[in-house]
Amino acid sequence: MSGQPTIVGTVAGPGDDPNEFVFITPAEKPIKTGEFITYSVSVDGDDRSVFARVTNRELIRGLPEGYLADPAVSPDTVATTLGVPTEDTELYRLTATVIGYYNTEMTTFANPRQLPAPGTPLSIAPDRQLETILPNLGCETDNMDVTELDGVAHIGWLLNRSPKATNIHLPIEEFASTHLAILASTGSGKSFTASVLVEEMMRSSSRASLLVFDPHGEYTTLADMQGHEMFQGEDGYEPDVVYYDSERLRVRISELNLGDVMAVLDNPSNRMQERLSTGWRSMQQQDSRTWDINDLIDRMEQLYGEDDASVGALEWRLRRSIGENDLFHPEDNVPLGEIVGPGQCTVLQMDTLDRRNQQLITTVLLRRLYRERLNDVRERDTAIEYPIFSLFEEGHRFAPASGDALSLGIMRTITSEGRKFGFGLGIISQRPSKIDQDVLSQCGTQISMQIQNPNDQDAIEKSVEAAGEDIFRELPGLTPGQAIVSGDAMNTPALIQVRDRRTRHGAESLSVVEKWHDAYEQQQREPTHSETADFGGGESTGMQNLN
Amino acid sequence: MTELATEETTLNLNSCIRIGSIISSNSHLDYVVEVLKDRDCDRPPELHEREFGQPVFIKKDVNGTKHAIMGVIYDSKLVDPDQGRTGPRLAQDDQERFTPGYIEERTTLVGVALLGTAVITDDQSITDPTHQMPRWTLEIDDTVYHCPDEMILSFHTVDEQLQLAYLDRLVEIAGDLGAEIAMTVIDRLRRLLAEDDPNQRVLNVVEQNVQWQAHEQRGMI
Repeated sequence: MSGQPTIVGTVAGPGDDPNEFVFITPAEKPIKTGEFITYSVSVDGDDRSVFARVTNRELIRGLPEGYLADPAVSPDTVATTLGVPTEDTELYRLTATVIGYYNTEMTTFANPRQLPAPGTPLSIAPDRQLETILPNLGCETDNMDVTELDGVAHIGWLLNRSPKATNIHLPIEEFASTHLAILASTGSGKSFTASVLVEEMMRSSSRASLLVFDPHGEYTTLADMQGHEMFQGEDGYEPDVVYYDSERLRVRISELNLGDVMAVLDNPSNRMQERLSTGWRSMQQQDSRTWDINDLIDRMEQLYGEDDASVGALEWRLRRSIGENDLFHPEDNVPLGEIVGPGQCTVLQMDTLDRRNQQLITTVLLRRLYRERLNDVRERDTAIEYPIFSLFEEGHRFAPASGDALSLGIMRTITSEGRKFGFGLGIISQRPSKIDQDVLSQCGTQISMQIQNPNDQDAIEKSVEAAGEDIFRELPGLTPGQAIVSGDAMNTPALIQVRDRRTRHGAESLSVVEKWHDAYEQQQREPTHSETADFGGGESTGMQNLN
Repeated sequence: MTELATEETTLNLNSCIRIGSIISSNSHLDYVVEVLKDRDCDRPPELHEREFGQPVFIKKDVNGTKHAIMGVIYDSKLVDPDQGRTGPRLAQDDQERFTPGYIEERTTLVGVALLGTAVITDDQSITDPTHQMPRWTLEIDDTVYHCPDEMILSFHTVDEQLQLAYLDRLVEIAGDLGAEIAMTVIDRLRRLLAEDDPNQRVLNVVEQNVQWQAHEQRGMI
């Protein structure tokens, strides 16, 4: 910033809250709510720039409402008629909440515990300074070029400023280790935002190991990153985007634990459960990891005799739930080395699997990955010697508040313990109220977008530690692409506009009318579909289907 | 009755009816005018020509420019020096005509509040109206003229837009009758404007505001 910052208002006095003050601005200095302003205050003898966020704006002097009586007559005309001045006469009273001054030693905001004196001039906080201090980048100065830092994700820019004026760079380290939640209703840009973060994490400066659990096949365009010069490194680095479709998703039966099996069986009786747990444990203890359902049944028959009714009933259930499910295989397993790797983004396309299978494969994969990470940290042999970050589209499917999902347990474990083992989760959901509160509250960084459902808004407020901040009142009013970023990755929550993607966006809504049109035209072109008249003489050749 | 006279050239300030003359003032903007009676002139103002809300003007030469100081009748008062006395008084012997004092000395006074000024042109119409407070003081015996409709309209049109910028001052001076004088002026303007004139709606809004405020102040709302 060059020159003196422009003064935009003057402090009038303290506000209602201990951290609040009131200031006055004339109409020609339009300050939006959410804007960051700054003033100088002396703290322990040093002059500090204290930052504050504008939380409310009200008109204290303006034309009376009586002038608005006739919609066809503009209030300015009435005012001119009466000789009332109309140019720049409005005065606004704005409320601002003190955020604090940037403490370069603590690299975060410190509250000066004193409000500005009446008459203190206020100016708009400079862009570059905000870029440095709003995200939790750990800068030791309050004014630097943050694009030079490694491991930052450019997510967008401050909404209150002109586009691209104040860019927000999130520290990838922060949200990838303390977990991330992207919460937004359908169509407000969840997967768009997630893709922006994926793009940033896959850049040459970060080279993340990413795993995307994609139940809808929305991340098909990430492959554009390959060959895109934005993502190439000087050393020849290029992100590797791997798509893993459901055909290749396999769970080796021996990887299941007893709880998983119980969950997929239909109502096993107590006796059956007892038979199964003994049999299963016995199979797990053997060296071979490639046994199938037949081996298990044989083992139970050995243990309980061939005529045991419960084993018989179990056999039928096991064959139906596991034996006939293509997902389970005695030998095949998803090779961890294939699905994770530095500079590799793997998208697990689970769109053809049903919900139960999606949860199963997720559970087993997470459990295996977590085990490897644990081994790595404990310095045991491991297949994965680097931290990993997993993104869950439709996160409420995998960690539902109802508790009705196999994957919930491992998700809870990873969100509460994963930080220590370099295993980060990113939960994306349009129903925050349907996500398990333990999981959601462990997500250190939150990107909240437009949410109208009051239950979901409550869920966000409950789980977001910075809740109670006025900024969350903005939630229902956001438009697609706008977000509130809060939590560990930020020193203070900020309202942002998510930047454009470098790759195409793949999760557009279907253009319903257009599709109907196309389908109709196609039908017109294909006379084979027309129905031959049925005169009752023979079999109908029509399209009727009575099923 | 014809509608508003279309030929604006008919305005001639020399032919305006005299209403009376100033006899005192209450303030810089508030004057007391004694209304002319039958014996004072050939053509005394008729009752409707000096009614409540009637705009008036006083001619003044200021620094070589002729100005019309605009005002409006906002109050009236009847004065009878003999009030309370009964019986005739004796006339003086040397008086040429017998004029009983109790008839001659009864007068009607009207209050005139000043609204603004305009410049009188050579062809005896007005131009450059302003609703700012007139800076010049009027004198005792200054003649107060009846303001014709064309002049009223012309005074209220500034930059092609209807203006009543004096309204707040007028309401203040008129005191208890503030709302009434404002409404009477608005009503008069409304009659002068064509029915489909967009300014009619502006007047409605202004009138509504004045009325509402008056009712509020008087405890009706």
